[in-house]
Amino acid sequence: MRPEPPRPPSKPRSLAEAAPLAAEGARPVAGGTALQVEWAGGGRRPDRLVDLSRIADEGFRSVEAGRIGAGVTLAAAGRAADLPAMLRAAIGDVAGPNVRALATIAGNVMGRTGCLIPPLLALGAELEFIGAEGTRRIALEAWLAKPAGDEILAAIHLPELPAGAVAVHRKIGLRRAFSPSVIGVAAVLVPGPDGRIAMARAASGGGPNPPGRLAGTEAALAGADPAAIDWRALRDLAFAEIIAVSDVHRTARYRRTAAANALVALLGGPAGLDALAPVRTPPSRAPRREPPPAGEIAVSRAAMAADWHVRPDMADKVAGRFPYHTDARSPEMLVGRILRAGVPHARIRSIDTRAAEALPGVAAVVTAADVPGLNAYGIVVQDQPALCGDKVRYVGDAVAAVAAVDAATAARALDLIAVDYEPLPVVSDPVAALAPDAPPVHEGGNLRRDMTLERGDVDSAFARCAHVVEAVYTTPRQMHAFMETEGGWVMPEPDGTLTVRVGAQYGRRDQIQLGRILDRPPESIRVVSGPTGGAFGGKDELTVQPALCLLALKAGRPVRLQLDRSESVAAGWKSMPFTIRMRTGCDAAGRILAQELDVVADCGAYASLSPGVLETALEHLAGPYVIPNIRSRGRLAYTNNGCCGAFRGFGANQMTFAVESQVDRLAALCGLDPVAMRRLNLRAPGDLGFLGQVVAPSERLREVLTAAAASDLWTHPRGITDDGSAVVGVGMALNYQGNGIGSIFDDPITVRLALGADGAIEAHYDLVEMGQGLVSVVQASVAAALGCARSDVRPVLGDTALVPDGGSTSASRGSVAVHLGAKAAGPALKAALIEAAAAVLGRPVERLTVGPGGIRDIGANACDEPVIAFSALAAALGDDRPASSHGRQFPKTHWPEANARFFFCFGATIARVSVDRATGAVTVLDVNLHTAAGPVIDAAGYVGQIEGGIVQALGFTLLEHAAIEDGRPAVRNFDGYMVPMAPDAPGSIRVFALPDLDEGDEFGPRGVGELGMGAVTPALSAAIADATGVWPSAAPFRPEDILAALGGLPAEAAP
Amino acid sequence: MTALAIAPDADDVVAFTLDGRPVRFAAHPETVLADLLREEAGITATKIGCRVGRCGACTVLVDGVAVNGCLVPAHRLEGATVVTPDGLDALPVAAVVRAALTEGNAFQCGYCAPGIVTTVVALLTADRDPDEAAVRAALAGHICRCTGYGSIVRAVLDAAARLKEARP
Repeated sequence: MRPEPPRPPSKPRSLAEAAPLAAEGARPVAGGTALQVEWAGGGRRPDRLVDLSRIADEGFRSVEAGRIGAGVTLAAAGRAADLPAMLRAAIGDVAGPNVRALATIAGNVMGRTGCLIPPLLALGAELEFIGAEGTRRIALEAWLAKPAGDEILAAIHLPELPAGAVAVHRKIGLRRAFSPSVIGVAAVLVPGPDGRIAMARAASGGGPNPPGRLAGTEAALAGADPAAIDWRALRDLAFAEIIAVSDVHRTARYRRTAAANALVALLGGPAGLDALAPVRTPPSRAPRREPPPAGEIAVSRAAMAADWHVRPDMADKVAGRFPYHTDARSPEMLVGRILRAGVPHARIRSIDTRAAEALPGVAAVVTAADVPGLNAYGIVVQDQPALCGDKVRYVGDAVAAVAAVDAATAARALDLIAVDYEPLPVVSDPVAALAPDAPPVHEGGNLRRDMTLERGDVDSAFARCAHVVEAVYTTPRQMHAFMETEGGWVMPEPDGTLTVRVGAQYGRRDQIQLGRILDRPPESIRVVSGPTGGAFGGKDELTVQPALCLLALKAGRPVRLQLDRSESVAAGWKSMPFTIRMRTGCDAAGRILAQELDVVADCGAYASLSPGVLETALEHLAGPYVIPNIRSRGRLAYTNNGCCGAFRGFGANQMTFAVESQVDRLAALCGLDPVAMRRLNLRAPGDLGFLGQVVAPSERLREVLTAAAASDLWTHPRGITDDGSAVVGVGMALNYQGNGIGSIFDDPITVRLALGADGAIEAHYDLVEMGQGLVSVVQASVAAALGCARSDVRPVLGDTALVPDGGSTSASRGSVAVHLGAKAAGPALKAALIEAAAAVLGRPVERLTVGPGGIRDIGANACDEPVIAFSALAAALGDDRPASSHGRQFPKTHWPEANARFFFCFGATIARVSVDRATGAVTVLDVNLHTAAGPVIDAAGYVGQIEGGIVQALGFTLLEHAAIEDGRPAVRNFDGYMVPMAPDAPGSIRVFALPDLDEGDEFGPRGVGELGMGAVTPALSAAIADATGVWPSAAPFRPEDILAALGGLPAEAAP
Repeated sequence: MTALAIAPDADDVVAFTLDGRPVRFAAHPETVLADLLREEAGITATKIGCRVGRCGACTVLVDGVAVNGCLVPAHRLEGATVVTPDGLDALPVAAVVRAALTEGNAFQCGYCAPGIVTTVVALLTADRDPDEAAVRAALAGHICRCTGYGSIVRAVLDAAARLKEARP
């Protein structure tokens, strides 16, 4: 049961007033920033809180030398010049700036897990408490040794640091900023008159690790000659006494190692690190420098100033005026909530909603019994219930939903729904799921898809290979982490239509799926699927629409609903984790002869697009290379591990990680540089595609490979850094990704161009703006087709009421669809506009053309006004305004046997990374992406898609994994799931393009939505191998593995 | 977590200045500011992206300082001055920040934009000449999933340059 709203906090004015309240058991709250995280994580709110924000005691909120008032915010303490620089730096590593403005130093300490405890222990801090019996001071260390008391912290006291003292700290995080602590370490050394260390204090802890002094390490340092310390022995000593715990992110062994190594790096510098493990940078594999390919351009605002256009939606977005569906509010609107299973696998014995229905303010409660049509959906197969009736298959399964007058009532109503579950065995491992006796997630077993392919004579080809590499590549369950969580609103219209306004990617398909669920004709459902606050594939399938529609229909009122992030994490779509075992062989010269692979993909509870993702991955199993002998098997297994489906890249990037890494490893074995190896094995322009299909012209693989060889990143410093703290490496990988839905699916393009009543050229497309910049592509394409200005064009997108089915906004197909649609529909509208203007003006058609702002005389100068503005023309025409529509199929290859792509995008991703010698943490210094995807329609959109894709892939490669343990999510929100923040992004990203097309290539620009993401993982793996000699193969790459490659693990910790 | 129930008794009325206007809300004392803005004040420019202070979408200025609106309970707001993305125009640097971020096409889906704009206004009010590292550090706490941050950082540096030019 959700507790009733708790008692308001007490607000004492003095510590003396606060102390008895705390002694009675009320919890003191200073900044309160940790509480919200605790509650969101399911923690119980204490019955009583003592709010310390009104405490007016002198010194409670001020810093003086040697004393920090407990009410001082971290931001203020970080600015206080009176405090030791080490402590101020440590404060700067806590949370982010805006949280530091609220959080206090007391909160960090009193939680007993704060990152500041090791630095404060090293500084010899004492705590001043006020309790029922008055004031007392106690050493921080002594306080930590005792159970938590019920006193209020008044201040922290710091002894003065003696002259010459060295104070150091390091917090090791999961990412570079605003990170939970993996572990922290700090030390203070005081020199004696003889140059030896007179006194040493060292401490570790933070995050989940109990904080404490490192007595043995301190003893070894005390009295030592700093120049003669045996750093390896010291590290081993520290390693032995540091206490750390394992969790889903890092092992205890890693934490202890990293903290001990970091201590040595802090105190011993490069010499200390050399004593732990000398750096053996592998010899450079840089390719021979070549001139860049002809026609390559830099894509940036600086390089393309004349082509830099402001997006039509940008000013509203910056001002906060942009209307997302989840922002809609009206008095009659109800608030919906969805009841999630909360258990990974169970049979439903019964659902009792009577108490919820009886709660005042509740307008509707729906369960499976309220589903009038097919209680199942799914893009490929319909295996997912709108609301579960007999069984749940993952913790986020929707079981019931409520609509109430406000969010709080809806939340209480959810708590009143009683569901009786009979637990079933949890299927948590995709390989074990395929065993004959595994508990079935679905009737019919857990093998959702099994695809095999054999080509040539694989075994005899492997027998002829001079070099064979075999590795297992694993990929994370990445969360799309769109900023606008799933949500929107549904309105039952007076005419019987149901209007669904939920951010999504393919309104027409949503309409069909909802029609089946609701047992209504699809045309009675209007779906307005955009604008969408980010999607990345995670809103391609239905999300909240079924529950919202059922609620709105039952209540007969509009209902809005938006998932909280924690619910989105538990229930939302994720990328599909792959395990790819790949074996690849080449002859002595480097020619690849054979490849064998076995793929198991974790489908999660429902199929959605996962079969397509697996199929797409397997279509890319040879990358852009000619591999004559191939044997592959790919299996897709149902489990209770959440639900997986489409994610930007759609399986291709997972496979690219494996193939490109294999090629890079073979190159090293053959003694070839990465460019030479790839050039030797590259497919030729005009070759058939992997499946045997005809592919589109304008292949640019050779050219992007030349661009890679020309890259200046190979000439940047590599090897050990000047300060000795890190090793730098450079690596590359090729991008080769099929675009479009493929050969076997209906893949329509539709467009309607019309002169609007206000004179705008309205461009209706059945596609969705979800951030990618389709609005700019529409403006640019339609303006080019008509001859008008971009600003004359008003994109009208994502509404099933406006144009026929125009396909999904996915698979990098939007730009192609928009461009081809505009090219086809533009001439007719242009002719109609001219004809209409000629009639209105009484001038000959031949004298007129379309120009910026309106209809122009063909002889006019660019600066002349139009002879009639579009607005005047629209006014003159009344309701008889011209329009032009067009429909066609997306360009496809004829390949009915299997799903094959026609378009491919090309690129070379080059990355330069720095690997921390103490921790194995990877910092991405530079990424250059040399793309070839046809003309750049919109420079801002192009560079934005590439940069955003690179950073999303950086997250996939180094940071992100929505771990699930025994069917239950191990991360709940952005406090445990690490999305890259600004300090994690590469120091520099440069985007280049080869915009030209082959002569006669009429297909125009290709999409770049997935290109940025495509080859970052193998490029980073290659760059790390350049620094360490080892290619990481388990993404997100574990610093522990990288540290092992550097030889940075203590002997007793070595795997 | 959902907004805690609103308990409209006299003890729970909180009065503060919101975007330059005095306001009073009857709210449970632990209703967070972000919910108060979106659900009671109708200010949907403030977005909620995580509710745990880890994404920055709900960033507002409280007494001139950029903070996460999801971490500030109503009972802390008595007498405070709150500026949401809707009220930023009252601040002298806001127009330049908005112009630079708009012209730089800083955002894509835009859901993170109001929060980031608020932090940037606070940053450039306090420090007119931040370097790139300072800009990135100030943005730590904001998640933008679309852009990879490059367009935002460049636009903020552009805004700083414009401010410097306007008043060296």
